[in-house]
Amino acid sequence: MSDLAVQAELGLGARRLAARLPRRIGIAEGLAAALALFLVVAALAPQLVAPGNPLAIDPLSAFQSPSAGHLFGTDESGRDIYTRVIHGAGNSLLIGVLATAIGLGFGVVLGTMAGMLGRVVDFSVNRVLEVLFAFPGLLLALLVIVIYGPGVATATLAVGLSTAPGYARIIRSQLVSVRSSPFVEAATVQGLTPWRILTRHILPNTLAPLVVLATLGIGQAIVWATALSYLGLGAQPPAAEWGAMLSAGRTYITSAWWMSFFPGLFIVLTAVSATALGRAIERRMRHA
Amino acid sequence: MHPTGNPRTRRTLIAGATLTVAGLLLTACTAGPASTTADKPVVGGTLTYASGDAEPDCLDPHVGGNYPQALASTQFLESLVSRDTEGAIIPWLASTWVEGEDGLSWEFTLKDNVFFSDGSPFDAAAVEANIAHLQDPATGSSTGYLALAKVTGTEAVSTNVVRLTLSEPDSALLESLSQPWLAMEAPSGLARGQEENCAAPIGTGPFVVKSWVKQDSIILVRNDSYGSPPADAAHDGPAYLEKIVWRFIPESASRYAALQAGQVDVIDNAQPDTIVQAEQGDSIRHLDAPRPGASNRIELNSSIAPFDDPQVREAFILSANIDDGVASLFQGTTKRSYSALSSVEALAVDRKDLFGYDPKAAGKLLDAAGWTERDPDGYRTKDGKRLSVRFPISTNQSIPAEQSLFEQIQATAKETGFDVRLTPLDLGSWYGALGAGEYDAVSAPYTKVGPDVLRILFHSDGITPAPSGYFANHAQVNDPALDALLTEAGRESAADKRKALYTEAQERVLEGFYILPLYDQQNHYLLGANVEGVRALPTVSTPTFSDAWLNG
Amino acid sequence: MLRLVAARLGGAAFVLWAVATLTFFAVRLIPGDPAEAILGGPGSQASAEAMASVRAEYGLDQPLFVQYLAQLGRLATGDLGRSYALKMDVAPLVFGQLGGTLVLAGLSLALAWVIALVLATWSTRGGRLAARVGSGLEIVAASLPHFWLATALIVLFSIWLGVLPPISTVGPAGLVLPVLTLAMPLAGFLGQIMREPLLAALESPFVLSARARGEGPRGIRWTHAIRHAALPAISLSGWAFGSLISGAVVVETVFARPGLGRTLLNAVTVRDVPVVVGVVLVVAVAYILMTLATDLASRIADPRLRPAP
Repeated sequence: MSDLAVQAELGLGARRLAARLPRRIGIAEGLAAALALFLVVAALAPQLVAPGNPLAIDPLSAFQSPSAGHLFGTDESGRDIYTRVIHGAGNSLLIGVLATAIGLGFGVVLGTMAGMLGRVVDFSVNRVLEVLFAFPGLLLALLVIVIYGPGVATATLAVGLSTAPGYARIIRSQLVSVRSSPFVEAATVQGLTPWRILTRHILPNTLAPLVVLATLGIGQAIVWATALSYLGLGAQPPAAEWGAMLSAGRTYITSAWWMSFFPGLFIVLTAVSATALGRAIERRMRHA
Repeated sequence: MHPTGNPRTRRTLIAGATLTVAGLLLTACTAGPASTTADKPVVGGTLTYASGDAEPDCLDPHVGGNYPQALASTQFLESLVSRDTEGAIIPWLASTWVEGEDGLSWEFTLKDNVFFSDGSPFDAAAVEANIAHLQDPATGSSTGYLALAKVTGTEAVSTNVVRLTLSEPDSALLESLSQPWLAMEAPSGLARGQEENCAAPIGTGPFVVKSWVKQDSIILVRNDSYGSPPADAAHDGPAYLEKIVWRFIPESASRYAALQAGQVDVIDNAQPDTIVQAEQGDSIRHLDAPRPGASNRIELNSSIAPFDDPQVREAFILSANIDDGVASLFQGTTKRSYSALSSVEALAVDRKDLFGYDPKAAGKLLDAAGWTERDPDGYRTKDGKRLSVRFPISTNQSIPAEQSLFEQIQATAKETGFDVRLTPLDLGSWYGALGAGEYDAVSAPYTKVGPDVLRILFHSDGITPAPSGYFANHAQVNDPALDALLTEAGRESAADKRKALYTEAQERVLEGFYILPLYDQQNHYLLGANVEGVRALPTVSTPTFSDAWLNG
Repeated sequence: MLRLVAARLGGAAFVLWAVATLTFFAVRLIPGDPAEAILGGPGSQASAEAMASVRAEYGLDQPLFVQYLAQLGRLATGDLGRSYALKMDVAPLVFGQLGGTLVLAGLSLALAWVIALVLATWSTRGGRLAARVGSGLEIVAASLPHFWLATALIVLFSIWLGVLPPISTVGPAGLVLPVLTLAMPLAGFLGQIMREPLLAALESPFVLSARARGEGPRGIRWTHAIRHAALPAISLSGWAFGSLISGAVVVETVFARPGLGRTLLNAVTVRDVPVVVGVVLVVAVAYILMTLATDLASRIADPRLRPAP
């Protein structure tokens, strides 16, 4: 998912744009934060917001449209979709967070190597990244799935691996620009040890943007991971996972739109709030 | 040497029933008022068919032999005989046939003046070539190969009479030959080699394969010199339609939406909710053609724990709430089955009394079988081992509603203490799991006309894999008494004795709790408002467009 | 310039070789015997003789390095091997499907550009509120998963309104929904990229002087600003192409449209390794060519980019 390359591009843009925008918390930012908080609560303690059992069936009340009793309606086995969507937040967010962590982990290692270990390593890592970039988007993920077979773990790994080159490239360029910045040069002139420069000056200035990147990345990772589940290559029904729910719902799309609508809505909301939050954090850090 | 079959598709077999079976094979039900313009067929036009089945990897149904191949090849290949809706064998490419006194030889007289679409004649030599092709291991036939198991020789008595010799009497021979998987192809086509023949088999049928773009569509054009319809066809001579575009649209919702939008004219594998919608309106019509042979059922692997204990099998069956699920998921488009056989089989034995939903009784049975403890998750255990049921699901063979039903069974059986582990798999991995014996429960469709399907599914011979690797006795029933009953029934030609034998055999299977019957094998077609004259062949319920036309 | 082109081409050749090598060895990681996979997977329970003959036929009994060299040799001549499941050569299959997918991707890219431009110009012209609404729309659009958007469009336009076909087979009408599905999220991304340079360009001296000359605001935007706004987005066409191909996997499946994406997904589902590798290689080649072209084009167009960063 070289979406990260774009995210970086966007980040640069937003950074410059930020100067033009007011710095108080906007309505959109507030909404995004509230939504993110809700999703985190849903993921960590779903029982607080949806006390039911996401796997409890009730065949005789299958395919009910949204109502007061079933806020988001029921699915083909009479399971409550609201309960499943809320309980699915944990699965879906976990996949997104893990995939991002995997991608970021590889990205940090590769990016730091390229940015810090001299020209030869930089050259080699860049060639590796170029090769990985030649498997755009889902392609690398699908290749991983062909090798290791479908499933939640593979899908997570697949999405993580395919985001890694994007992270690596951004981290590398961040490191390079920080290293050549005036204050690092000044520190070098002052005779600080390279280790001190790395830990005191370079890393803090590189890691902060990582928070932004990770936030932005989680949204996209969730979209990609749910896409794999939707294609039948990730989580499988009856697991309460948004992509798998959508996949089950598509059969009934002509008669029970709510089965697909609400899980999809939550994917979109999650991605939107992650993006909006990432941007907001970034803006704040620029001005801090 | 050659790969057999398409691992993505249904393995279906059809073979014999007796001539005397008089079952209602096919129930066609049309919703909405009959079209008023239906009287005069319109000549010309292109019909688009959207199949939800897998795309075949070979259009020659001799190779492998599965249902997607049968669906397509019904349009361009024809068999020696067919069946009518009463179950009687009727002439098709053969006009008459005689069984020898000892039951060890059959003579078929072929229709005169029948030609393959490349102009070569259909004659006794062609029949010989086809049977040789089916029996050649290099062809990789599984369905046709098995159906001809008792055929030891063929001989062209004259240009239009062919004699088959058998190793033992086979009352199912005619039904075997009625199968689309034993259809007659031009020897000139077969001679081209498998690759070329797979791309465009040459037959005598109403349409001809013009082109096949893989992953896209098959183009079938009218055979203008056609003149060999089965005896129950509505008209003789070439088809009305000029062309059929045969598409593959795996998404059921897209398929239905395309039909609604008029982008396609006929769809198969219609899902319950779309059938209900279609029946509420009056533009789309519904053709319900359940497949013959076995009912859809869950087979319990009786060779290993926990289902080697009949009490545990019975407990599982009693702990699964099927009726509510069938009602909600299938929305009245099918009925619950309590039989090992399809409801279209006259000899089917129904035992509703055995297959109720009774969690209490199930619990008692499990207690008696020693599964008395419960672990923290609520599952029963015995000697520290959890009562788990490995249930691999073939996502290619179980429609979404069926997969949902399995999820419901998982949920209801959990209350009694079963840990049902559903694993959706692609067909290759699913065969792998079955071949390795890594399953406790499984559901596999099986199409075959007549009660002889019982022999395939429950005779202990079916535990050993066939050369193709497939084995049909998933319940791994190994009961010498049952074997004897089934073998005897297979050779018995007297109708009443045969019925008694098959009834006894079915009782043994059902009372042994080897299977949990669900419903008939679903086979629903939806037809656009302007489509007329389509019917499902009473052999294995594939649609034929020989008599079909499109109203303007 | 010539040296630059040569260097870039050399780099592309290296990447191609590496991609081919990587896929060759990655595929060896697949558990199970390739000979068995060729014979129909574990379900086929092929005989030892059949396996041996397949091994000999496909050269699987050769040392790995020999197999690798043979594979490179075949690839160099455009031979992508033979599909396990479809029983046909991969090259004609993949190249046969390529056209449809390129049409889909090309139209989607074009539409995404139009949507992004319209949205960006509208929202930069309309003051602070428009800017916020515009950027909000872009974020939402960029977050829309293809599979959900496709389903929503089918429900809306095919099932409820009945105006557009739900499957994309032949004819231009069938392309509308798939193209919309792919274009909307991409437009969100492109719009976000174009917004900032557009604002910057609008405040640049030459736009101000143009305004002073009395050119209307519309004329200014379309002639000067957009050219600047488009540059960073153009440099991302390679990325956009990759994203569209990924999207095509979903979109072609939902709309039953023949193409590379659907072929790839089918192959992944049945683990038809040669087809997966074939599609991956062809997409990689296309991606490399695309990046190469945009890279060279932008270097020629914008002399500032010539010294490599």
